[in-house]
Amino acid sequence: MDSVKTATQEMMNNMSELEVEVDKSKAPVGTTEMEAKNVSVWFGKRKVLEDVNMAFPKNSVTALIGPSGCGKSTFIRTLNRLHELIPGAALAGEVLYEGSDIYAQNVDPVHIRLSIGMVFQKPNPFPSMTIRGNVLSGLKLSGMKRSDHDDIVEQTLTSAGLWKEVKDRLNAHAGDLSGGQQQRLVIARALAVNPHVLLMDEPCSALDPASTLKIEETIRQLSKEITIIIVTHNMQQAVRVSDYTAFFLAEENKPGYVVEQGATTEIFGNPQDQRTLDYVNGRFG
Amino acid sequence: MTTVMERPDSLNGPAIEQMPRRPWSKRPAKFWLATAIAVVVPIAVVGLIYSADVIPPAILLTVIYFPLQLVAAGLAALATKGKHGILDSCIIVLAIGATALSAIVLGSMLFTIIARGIEAFRPSFIFQNSVYISPSTPLDYGGIGHAIIGTFLIVGIAVIISVPLGIATAVYVTEVRGKAVPYVRFFVQAMSGVPSVVAGLFVLTVFILTGVLRQSALAGAIAYAILMLPTVARTAEEVLRLVPEELRTGALALGSTRARVVSKVVIPAAKTGIITAILLGVARVVGETAPLLLTALKNDQTVVNPISDPISALPTYIFDNVAQPYPDAVTRAWGAALALMILVAILFTVTRYLGGRKRSA
Amino acid sequence: MATDTPLRDLSGGKRAHRGDRVFNRTITGAAFTSLVVLAGITIFLGAQTIPVLQDQGLSFLTTTVWDTTGVPPEYGIAGMLYGSLLLAVIALVIAVPVSLFLAVFMVFLAPAKLSKILTNLIDLMAAIPSVIIGLWAFYVLVPPAEEWQQLLNQYLGWIPLFANDSGNFSGTPFMAGLVLAIMMIPIVTSITAEVLKRTPPELINAAESLGCSMWTMLRYVALPFGRGGIVGGIMLGLGRALGETIAVFFVLKIVFDINFFNILESGGGSVATLIVSKFGETNGEFEVQVLLAAGFFLFLGTLLVNALANLIVRRTERLRS
Repeated sequence: MDSVKTATQEMMNNMSELEVEVDKSKAPVGTTEMEAKNVSVWFGKRKVLEDVNMAFPKNSVTALIGPSGCGKSTFIRTLNRLHELIPGAALAGEVLYEGSDIYAQNVDPVHIRLSIGMVFQKPNPFPSMTIRGNVLSGLKLSGMKRSDHDDIVEQTLTSAGLWKEVKDRLNAHAGDLSGGQQQRLVIARALAVNPHVLLMDEPCSALDPASTLKIEETIRQLSKEITIIIVTHNMQQAVRVSDYTAFFLAEENKPGYVVEQGATTEIFGNPQDQRTLDYVNGRFG
Repeated sequence: MTTVMERPDSLNGPAIEQMPRRPWSKRPAKFWLATAIAVVVPIAVVGLIYSADVIPPAILLTVIYFPLQLVAAGLAALATKGKHGILDSCIIVLAIGATALSAIVLGSMLFTIIARGIEAFRPSFIFQNSVYISPSTPLDYGGIGHAIIGTFLIVGIAVIISVPLGIATAVYVTEVRGKAVPYVRFFVQAMSGVPSVVAGLFVLTVFILTGVLRQSALAGAIAYAILMLPTVARTAEEVLRLVPEELRTGALALGSTRARVVSKVVIPAAKTGIITAILLGVARVVGETAPLLLTALKNDQTVVNPISDPISALPTYIFDNVAQPYPDAVTRAWGAALALMILVAILFTVTRYLGGRKRSA
Repeated sequence: MATDTPLRDLSGGKRAHRGDRVFNRTITGAAFTSLVVLAGITIFLGAQTIPVLQDQGLSFLTTTVWDTTGVPPEYGIAGMLYGSLLLAVIALVIAVPVSLFLAVFMVFLAPAKLSKILTNLIDLMAAIPSVIIGLWAFYVLVPPAEEWQQLLNQYLGWIPLFANDSGNFSGTPFMAGLVLAIMMIPIVTSITAEVLKRTPPELINAAESLGCSMWTMLRYVALPFGRGGIVGGIMLGLGRALGETIAVFFVLKIVFDINFFNILESGGGSVATLIVSKFGETNGEFEVQVLLAAGFFLFLGTLLVNALANLIVRRTERLRS
């Protein structure tokens, strides 16, 4: 246990070196922005996720950790109704956003996806558009009418920590940016439609360490205003950016489930389950 | 304090009662109602006008039904999905319209070919030639036997000419991998764009006007071979590419010469694909008419000598009988079209079957 | 696209086995058949074109006279060259929208099974020989299509494009363009569907997560991504339309005067069809040469269009990788 604590301590120290303002005292029970109730997921006949219950407090960062193939990515895709685009997908349970089920019959999935934005593993800016065009693409794609385009571009690029680097070449093609810049551009793009929740599916797994730190900084800044749910394989990252952590696990050929969840400091510093302890110490997965 | 989740019951004991749902595929009643109205109302309106018989059907469909259907779909989308659904509903109407239109055209072609072609079909039509047959001769006499033989003869020779060249081209690109690969590919690509009538003209100038060949099966076959070659070469290239590299290196490691590796290992491994390539090449040319009009002309007799005489094939037989003022001659054209279409359908089905097997293997 | 595997020099230099050297040479020689044929067409048809141009001068390309019995006889194929282009444009205007929507239906709207069936049907349609399409057009399409043309003229005749003074609606450029469009649809559709299918799923995911609709996804993501491939496919269809001979033969009345834009007026031109329709009645070597010369210019035209098409397709493929 001691070794765990020192490891965690070390991570915390690293984090403070980032000079990121971290408010760890944030009350664990704020208003609940989103909540998953008894969520199970199937692809065709195969069940891939079993009975997930989780609440996401407003303006918190929740990290979903666990070995590959345990259903973390599948889970966050159920949170903004992207899951249903995969042929054969099915689910059970409820996903509540601001208290109401996003899968209820009268809910427009477009509205949900605009309120609950998403950033993917691989940076995926639209290659045919400029930097500016990418930031504003959400407005075009969803048919939103906003006149203050210049403000949106500056504001969201600033929030994503990219403004200084690209302000002189907004009309360059998005493909000219580096991978890390592209990922921040994609974050800006997701922010431009004013989401209340941002889902991030391993946003740094394709990036170098320097870019990763920049994205993490961005995440901390953003969490002052929006709720963030991030899937990550990088345990230090979970410690650095998140307030809460949930640990997913799947036994072979069985659906994934949540082993343990709670405040990040607890999950990493004082896990209750042996498997969590093993995982956060890098003993498997 | 962390929460340790209990392991879900299903992992230990009996499954918990949770049924998979697909709430997104369950549309609200309002949606179905709107869709039903959007489909039924325009048809009903158009049906009413049609029964009143005041507007020609073509105008009714294009000027009334089509815009009405767009508007109805747009309104239905507005009612169920709001503003952003309107354009989508128009796309859906246009996409279904385009599909229906194409399906009608294809259906009409296949239907008339079969319905009109059957009228001519009888044993004598398949087996007899057309000697002493004039456009007004009744259908019980004479047939397309000579044209079928002609098609087989011309296509057969074209296969003999083009297949070795096509496969050699593919082998050059995938096995020899010489410096000229990009150029060879470029020329093959360019050759695939040569209009069939130009291939006919080429054979005409080089072989017929110079007196080397008469207008005959061989001359027609050379023109066909020119049209087949790019198809055979490109398809063969694709299938040779699928042969695993280990097979080649394995055989080379055993001391085989490259020639042996290609002929004993690579090509046998890609056998099915090569057959597909040949059949696709045949399908490309089997209905070509223009080159034969210039290089093989026509002949009512059965010809089996590839160089002695002009010769008819199925496409040229159809061509000769299309715009005749005699109904029986036109029926013969349809009969020959059915025979040709059966050939095309067989080639099509076999290539699909072989192609599908290759992919699943 | 270049070869997938790295280029290796397998000719083996001087140490290669003798059998292999023979093999390599044979294969290399055979691989240049396509070049030989293309060069052959250019040289032999070109050679036949020279006497025609010497005799007729540039008026062969710029005039519309076709006087085989005159002294001296005069030949001009301007009407045919223009006609080929006009037919191709009419075909494009009809075929492209239909093909695009058909492809969208197959890729984004139809259930997987239906989409597969449609793919097969489209390929079958592409495999129908042009002479059969000509036969079908002559007996099945033309009668109603003449009525459509009359109606078009009746209501829109005030637009010069749809004017018709003769009252004769047979053998019009519109009709020939319609038949060419039917032949182009399967080509353009299958290429477009192929291209749309290759829209990267991560871009579609991104668009969906930004609340796209079918229209905005097509407009801002799928079509810009596939633009090069689709344009290339359309150009290939265009090349096919320019070279099509037999189907046009049955539905177009060949006239030598240029029919500039009265697409509902009987009579138009097509180089390819001219060759076949005049070949049977040629009188003397020079008239054959005239047709060969016409074929030469047809060859150049289609070569140019196809080269452009391939260039566009290849450039987009390179941009993508």
